[in-house]
Amino acid sequence: MARVIDLRRNREVIAWKWMRYSGLLLIPLAWGHVLIQDVLVGVDRIDLNYVAMRWAYLGWRIYDLFLLVFALAHGINGLRQVVLDFVPKKKNIRLVNQAAFVYWLVLVLPGIAALVGGVRKP
Amino acid sequence: MSVKVMITSLVAYRGGVGQLSFVLHRLTGLGILLFLVIHVVDTSTVFFFPSQYADAIAVYRSVPFMVGEIFLVFSVIYHGVNGARIAIFDLALVKKWETKSQHNSAIWTLVIAMVLWLPAAFIMGRNVLEKLGI
Repeated sequence: MARVIDLRRNREVIAWKWMRYSGLLLIPLAWGHVLIQDVLVGVDRIDLNYVAMRWAYLGWRIYDLFLLVFALAHGINGLRQVVLDFVPKKKNIRLVNQAAFVYWLVLVLPGIAALVGGVRKP
Repeated sequence: MSVKVMITSLVAYRGGVGQLSFVLHRLTGLGILLFLVIHVVDTSTVFFFPSQYADAIAVYRSVPFMVGEIFLVFSVIYHGVNGARIAIFDLALVKKWETKSQHNSAIWTLVIAMVLWLPAAFIMGRNVLEKLGI
């Protein structure tokens, strides 16, 4: 007997769509970040003063906020998908989903705190 | 699926460029996430432990990491180009989903990623050589 699933309300369908939307958004965000910091500026010139100078502009903080939230959500959902390929039991799937959400929160909250609080000069 | 089945299937499953792009997409994605998690933690120190920030990023200035950084940039470029390919086919070109279009676009993805990566790899590679005093 066929099972009918409402695709519009299915959480996995929403996650599937958002992997594509967030991925497209991350192309300019992540590529811009990597081009500026890794290729043009380079790790040797990045220090506390450099971060303070960048974050003096509200625009860069908002840019970094979007990058932080979307890159972590996209990456952790990707990790979740890979892990679920090896987890067949329904009960364990729930556990993996909850762990992924907690993992995202544990990383994104200190990240947001640092972005809002800014650089504290020692 | 067990890990053993997955590893043997990497060799035995239908193979070809489609499977290669699937494996590359997953490996580059997981690699980027691994670095991203470390990077969020080290950057958070500018607020929580600002006197530790210099130590936290000191490792990035070592030669082995700078070489790894070149591969990180390749991962970000390849994952982005291939992700765009997947998103465009899934969201806009559903009716063009054929074996041949998948095969061709997967090859083009590799070509575009290499073309975008090589100039970046050149600049970053020069910085590594400079550090080594060559």
